[in-house]
Amino acid sequence: MLKYGFGGKLLRVNLTEKIFKIEKISSSWIKPLIGGRTTNTQRLYDELDPNCDPLGEDNIIIFGVGPLTGSILPASAYFIVTAKSPLTGILGDSAAGGSFGPEMKQTGFDQIIITGKAKGLLYLMITDKEVEFIPATNLSGKTIVETTCYIRKKHKDYAIQVAAIGAAGEHQVLYSTIVSSGNRVNGRTGMGAVLGSKNLKAIAVRGSSPAEYANPTILKQESEKIHSAIMKHDEYTKRYNLGTTMLMNDLNSLGILPTNHFQDGVCDYIEKISGEKLANTYKVKNKSCFNCNLHCSRYYICENQEAEGPEYETLCSFTSKIGSADLPFALEMNYWLNQMGLDSISTSEVIAWIMECQERGLIQPDDLEGLKLTWGDTDKVREIVKKITFRDGIGDKLANGARNLSREFSEEAQKLVLHVKGLDVINGDPRGIKAYGLTYAIASRGGDHLRAEPFFELTNRKEEAKRRFGTEKAADRLSEEGKAALVVYSEKIALLTDSMTMCKNIGLCMDILNFENITALLNACTGLNYTPDYLQKIMNDSIDLQRKLNEKFGITREDDTLPERFVSESLKRGPTKGSTVDIDKMVDEYYKLHNWKH
Amino acid sequence: MICVDISKCTGCKRCETACAFFHTKQVSNHLSRIKVLNLYENGIDSPVVCQQCNERYCINECPNEALSIGSLVEILVDMDVCSLCANCEDACPIGAIQLFNDEVLVCNLCSGDTECIMACTEEALSFETQEENSSLSEYKLTSVKLTPSQKRFEYVRKQGIELRKTWRENRA
Repeated sequence: MLKYGFGGKLLRVNLTEKIFKIEKISSSWIKPLIGGRTTNTQRLYDELDPNCDPLGEDNIIIFGVGPLTGSILPASAYFIVTAKSPLTGILGDSAAGGSFGPEMKQTGFDQIIITGKAKGLLYLMITDKEVEFIPATNLSGKTIVETTCYIRKKHKDYAIQVAAIGAAGEHQVLYSTIVSSGNRVNGRTGMGAVLGSKNLKAIAVRGSSPAEYANPTILKQESEKIHSAIMKHDEYTKRYNLGTTMLMNDLNSLGILPTNHFQDGVCDYIEKISGEKLANTYKVKNKSCFNCNLHCSRYYICENQEAEGPEYETLCSFTSKIGSADLPFALEMNYWLNQMGLDSISTSEVIAWIMECQERGLIQPDDLEGLKLTWGDTDKVREIVKKITFRDGIGDKLANGARNLSREFSEEAQKLVLHVKGLDVINGDPRGIKAYGLTYAIASRGGDHLRAEPFFELTNRKEEAKRRFGTEKAADRLSEEGKAALVVYSEKIALLTDSMTMCKNIGLCMDILNFENITALLNACTGLNYTPDYLQKIMNDSIDLQRKLNEKFGITREDDTLPERFVSESLKRGPTKGSTVDIDKMVDEYYKLHNWKH
Repeated sequence: MICVDISKCTGCKRCETACAFFHTKQVSNHLSRIKVLNLYENGIDSPVVCQQCNERYCINECPNEALSIGSLVEILVDMDVCSLCANCEDACPIGAIQLFNDEVLVCNLCSGDTECIMACTEEALSFETQEENSSLSEYKLTSVKLTPSQKRFEYVRKQGIELRKTWRENRA
């Protein structure tokens, strides 16, 4: 019997039959998993037919929270959504903050597992004891905020939290998102398309079953230590003012800001598109996820546009990556993508890839129904993003993602798609951040940094690098040395953060969490007697399980690599000039540390 | 009373979380006596908490004299005589007093050591002793038959109108 920290219940919803079932979760099942991402991965491994169509009735989509979600731990806002990805065909999952996770926690359901397909568009209203299947044909095409406001008004309760899809999810764009709390995004791997394929417009949650804690006094003390560490952090003010948009200037100064589709790492018009420019010109207030003391999100007003955000990935995606110095345009795209439910990284990859291929003469406008995209042509980008959203005309092909679209073209064009395992890589050029390069290569959901977020390599803390990872080079961003050890450490902290749950931007990037303080937090929360060694074992087991799951999807050692550009083509100028990634060396070391043979 | 500077609120719910945890060792919007609204449609965030109004609508409507005014001008609840009739909940124009799990929850100022104000890193909350309390009569008429949540929403929405004007002016 689970007494502390967890809700202790699992909700199964079958949309085809319009039925639900509540099961108990035992402590013997959950203790060796913890919660959040680790538990979701285990469910997918145990219950999914790996050969199923990701957009068919048999795919299962799992919403999960952890023992600390929605607690007094700062930034304990996160929930994880897991399914077979329609974009990549392998393990798909994505985390988001806001307030949905904490409210889901209040329902007492640690996991919600959704299967089947509804006959018509509907939304689920989930409370502690009840699941209502509510017709939502009137919400078809509505934005995230419109959907959220409608549901709150209808149920006369403005504490209801809603995770919804926009038009892109309804049209099953393969990289569509789920968006909750108005603007917090489960961005990657196309989880929105999975909901769309099930005719599920939204999940609304409202709970009144708060968890009890094993030792509230210790939990408060440990949470206050985390609170102080965040408040005293060297970068607190910068992160408070700019949020992740600080990375525009930071990455540009390292020569790794993706510019014209990673052909350049230095952007000549950075001052027009920087986080500082955005904050000084358009920001009106700070915004925050649940119980966070960093408040790193922002609200802006720009001409007739207003919205929360943007985060760095969206800002870079619709400025330097596509060769545009037009900041108001990027803000317009931020609103559109978040309200229509499109992943900014994958959307901008297909656009920037076409731009480069057309510049090189590898794709002609006639190949794409007359579509001609050139650097910085924001009118054309606006038009094509709208077509992608509704799968209108040529947008239908682009909605399948850059890798899938590239198969119609030459090998040379295919090589220019910057993806790993079908997931478009994030906006950080790995030629100047080698541990990130390794992370993109080995990440179990494809080309992504959040599986390890090895921010430590940018800290230049040489002595600490030697102590932690055996070599000073682990803190040298241009070196491959010690990076496997760094990634093997930080992928475990990343997974723990996704499992307990908390914000990785704080827990990991600000170097706040470690095995010792997580152990103390989890024990005060659950009373389950974790130790740092046991947590290490749980993380290793789960990372092994992710790999086994991906093997079921056909992934092999050969897929753990980087696009050719990063391996063999160096940048021509700036502080990362001349550098390429020796990816095989790092992946081999990484395999050795995991005791993986192949 | 606890004063809210709506222009400084980021919507983080640290006040709400601290309040519930201090009183119950659990975290829940239902258990908190200060409840945060996030209006995703227009960027406005704000907590709602008892404003110790002039009118004392809740006290006047209580048939059992279960509510009284304490030394800090806060509302005190005597659960021994409360009949859980919810008249107080219906009477409050801003949804600042509410029944949950057979208890009447309203801000009692933590006997002076206010948890919510300590939890707020944005200085959006402050404790002020006023000679004359504020009036909530302008919210009373339109709040009839609304749920407490709807009343909080309307209260925050109206307050947000002025703030949004300043945003527009500052950006013009």
